[in-house]
Amino acid sequence: MRLSVSLLISHGRVFRRLGRGPRHRLDLLRNLVTALVRHERIEAPWARADEMRGYAERLIDYAKRGDTDERAMRMANFWLTEKDLIHKLFKVLAPRFQPHPGAYTRLLQIPNRDALDRAKMAVIELKGNPLPPLARPRRDSEKTLLNQLLKGYREDSGLGAAE
Amino acid sequence: SRAGGDGKPEKFQPPPKPVIIDKQKQRAERRFLSPEFIPPRGRTDPLKYYMERKDMIQRRKVFNIPEFYVGHVLAVTTADPYANNKTNRFVGICIQRGGKGLGATFVLRNVIEDQGVEICYELYSPRIQAIEVLKLEKRLDDNLMYLRDALPEYSTFDVNMKPVSRLDHEEVPVNKLQVRMKPKPWSKRWERPKFNIKGIKFELPESKMKEAQKWSQPWLEFDMLREYDTSKIEEKIWKEVNEELKK
Repeated sequence: MRLSVSLLISHGRVFRRLGRGPRHRLDLLRNLVTALVRHERIEAPWARADEMRGYAERLIDYAKRGDTDERAMRMANFWLTEKDLIHKLFKVLAPRFQPHPGAYTRLLQIPNRDALDRAKMAVIELKGNPLPPLARPRRDSEKTLLNQLLKGYREDSGLGAAE
Repeated sequence: SRAGGDGKPEKFQPPPKPVIIDKQKQRAERRFLSPEFIPPRGRTDPLKYYMERKDMIQRRKVFNIPEFYVGHVLAVTTADPYANNKTNRFVGICIQRGGKGLGATFVLRNVIEDQGVEICYELYSPRIQAIEVLKLEKRLDDNLMYLRDALPEYSTFDVNMKPVSRLDHEEVPVNKLQVRMKPKPWSKRWERPKFNIKGIKFELPESKMKEAQKWSQPWLEFDMLREYDTSKIEEKIWKEVNEELKK
């Protein structure tokens, strides 16, 4: 029995293999998308949240087309298992993201899960949600040592030049 | 008519103006961008496709590649050093158009003396001296590979066929022909939904058709990340190609 070598090589493949097969992968991601639309901020394993991000953003792009569009309605019907969220998607989320051209979600890593598997977890949220803001990493903070030293140097040289 | 003593001359009525339908304008309205111009989705540098496009346009300025789809009957003359006239003419139905960029190919199939022959030509090869479209008709599918397992009468075309003249420049006609197949086994299981073939008249029993549906993947149409929307890319490339060709 020859186990095909091509199944082990994954050059250029963009989809991760989650769950028990492609159908199960889509079901898992569908549950996550439904939860995101309902709660607007969820914690999930990082790999699943990363896969889900693309689908959530494309769903919002479809929703922006309007609920009269047949294809948009079929997509929303498939992707949202709780049917009251279809109304929320078209009436609340689509107008909220109308001015934005692209990224509607934010993915941030959180400490590993406490369970035995110690899985890498992430929190994914829709931008503009009404919950209290997350602690996002700010790169250029004024409080870092280097920035404080540079600020001091600039002030000293500025005072020197002024004199 | 001027009967009676009507002294005043009747007002001159000019004849109604003839309506001129400008065929040139109508022809320009129909857009066809050859599928090998559209770059595939991937991580390659777009510079590669830009350079290939320049070369493709350069070749098209010198040699006319007509608009054709899968299902058209074409006659291709290539340069052959070992033939009498140094040229080789092959007539066949286009069953597949593959490849992107300069390596774009099309496969022509014909049955000559009870032997099926398929030749894969490269569109931009300098050995090709002429491509003539003999019969314009689109089929129901994009890929007619199933003609290999169909009865040979569906793939035979007369080598000395005269080009069928088409005067309307509006729509390419779609031939809704349903092809009859040879008995199974076939080279591929064409009844499976993965191929999505509409142009075969399946004479298989219902049980076989139902068993084939077991391999259907209904979730695939809802998988949004597999969709590749080419409309904007096509617009840009269409403009670019047209501007270059006009020069």
